[in-house]
Amino acid sequence: MSKETDKILGHGADNDGIEEYDNPLPTWWLGLFYFTIAWGVLYAIDYHFVSHRSQAGEYDAEVAAALAALPQRPQVAAIAAPTPASAEAGKAVFETNCVACHGADLRGGVGPNLTDAEWIHGGTYADIQKTITEGVPAKGMITWGPILGAEKIAQVAAYVHGAGGGQ
Amino acid sequence: MPEPRTDYDDAVVRKFITATVLWGAVGMLVGVIIALQLAWFPANLGLPWTSFGRLRPLHTNAVIFAFAGNALFSGIYWSMQRLLKVRMFNDALSNFHFWGWQAIIVSAAVSLPMGWTSGKEYAELIWPIDLAIAVVWVAFAVNFFGTIAIRKVAHLYVSIWFYMSMVITITLLHVVNSLAVPVSLTKAYSVFPGITDALVQWWYGHNAVGFLLTTPFLGLMYYFMPRAANKPVYSYRLSIIHFWGLVFLYIWAGPHHLLYSALPDWAQTLGMVFSLMLLAPSWGGMLNGLLTLRGAWDRVRTDVVLKFFVVGITFYGMSTFEGPMMSIRAVNSLSHYTDWTIGHVHSGALGWVGFCTFGMLYWLVPRAWKKPLYSDTLATAHFWLGTIGIVLYVVAMWVSGITQGLMWRDINESGLLEYPNFVDTVTRLMPFYWIRLFGGLGYLVGVLLMAFNFIKTANGETAAAGSLEAANV
Repeated sequence: MSKETDKILGHGADNDGIEEYDNPLPTWWLGLFYFTIAWGVLYAIDYHFVSHRSQAGEYDAEVAAALAALPQRPQVAAIAAPTPASAEAGKAVFETNCVACHGADLRGGVGPNLTDAEWIHGGTYADIQKTITEGVPAKGMITWGPILGAEKIAQVAAYVHGAGGGQ
Repeated sequence: MPEPRTDYDDAVVRKFITATVLWGAVGMLVGVIIALQLAWFPANLGLPWTSFGRLRPLHTNAVIFAFAGNALFSGIYWSMQRLLKVRMFNDALSNFHFWGWQAIIVSAAVSLPMGWTSGKEYAELIWPIDLAIAVVWVAFAVNFFGTIAIRKVAHLYVSIWFYMSMVITITLLHVVNSLAVPVSLTKAYSVFPGITDALVQWWYGHNAVGFLLTTPFLGLMYYFMPRAANKPVYSYRLSIIHFWGLVFLYIWAGPHHLLYSALPDWAQTLGMVFSLMLLAPSWGGMLNGLLTLRGAWDRVRTDVVLKFFVVGITFYGMSTFEGPMMSIRAVNSLSHYTDWTIGHVHSGALGWVGFCTFGMLYWLVPRAWKKPLYSDTLATAHFWLGTIGIVLYVVAMWVSGITQGLMWRDINESGLLEYPNFVDTVTRLMPFYWIRLFGGLGYLVGVLLMAFNFIKTANGETAAAGSLEAANV
């Protein structure tokens, strides 16, 4: 590219007095333009036809890597019956995660009252664990299984079961 | 040198300027209110009409179509008559355009708080208003091309090309994206299904940014900045190449809004690589603007018009670098859905669109009213309040957005989400929402200073003949 000449083109009379120089394109600017075009073409060819990458493939690879890297989660033995110790631990879990909807006193708010011995989705210890694990997405209760894990769910279910007169 | 003025229609320019300042203040006030709502939820007032979900589209529509739209029309009506050396093609169309556009804005200000929405971002207005927009826009297009047809010059200046790209492309975008089947006065269903609808929507959304907030503002920059600096444009060749680069590449880049969605992989790749290729053409505009000021940099220290343009162009360069970076798949997987996006659009909106508009207005108002500016001190105060406001806003949103993105994806050693409750991320971001509020408030106060300054200017003494280059405008 040649250097700046600051040669006036002479359109000023037509441009409300604004003159224009006929300066060349800055070399680095043109280089940047060519580079992004070349990079874009090469990236697209590589992504689709050489590396055969895809959104679904990326997901599968991440899941496989996570399964390989993460420690095998200990299987929590199904707790058949609530214990005072697990209910005590469950109180802390409840206060962190549940009070926003069910209230600090468990008497409800956004979610139903848990103290009135009325059980919409079943009041046995197993029922309560199932309700928490799966959630009630249609009514706004999220699926807590993947968030809390089985152990914390067993604990909080013990707390709710004891406080609410579970069956 | 410019020839003595002929019988240009400056009355319609003054009307558009007034509307720009009025709607700008309103739109930015609503922005400050919703920023407060995010930091302090009781500001929603517990009423549906004042809740964030309804006021947010009111804010975006007001600043894009009312503030930026009227600013464009002010500058276009002023500059195209002078660049084509002819009065507007038809005064009735000019006035229909002005009053029609204001009526659309008022109808938006009523319908959006009522909750009537098409559910398409930046195209929320319901179908009867969409029809009105089409009619008013076509009236503008007829007036615009009519004026070009009766022009008294042979050469079309670069600003006119940029304006043309807006008039043509916005017509196409608005009509196609708004195609819908009405089922009642306030409700219509898009004719496009599923992901096709999303793709059309973001073809519209991205190019509304491209052809309403970028190319015509470059047109304004190419007219008002060389006039204010009294310098020749750096490179005619660069203006041609970056114009065609922009208009050709922009139109394909919309799919970058739909990375990691149901959109087919090939279309996602298309959106990403066209966004990257946009970097150089975008920077072409920045370079031509900044290099035009060679030899005039000493005046940037004292001339408030040039100060606004320089900072506006600099933010344009920054956000047109940030945009291509955010369209890269790996970056987008972190930035998408976070406050980073909000920061990105505001560096463009507050920095580029806002500051170019203010620079243009501080040059144009004294000439359109033929009166000297009431106060340079207030204008300089506006400049600093605005600049500090943008920096606070953008930096707060960068920190907030990256924090948010990292917290959402953080997995602990047992393979569970570290922050499974969304509210954990919200409470962490509160300090940045307050900083954003103060940044936006500073920017709004600056605009109110400008409004006061212009009211005093318009009511002040008429400039003496010969001063203010009054003879040249």
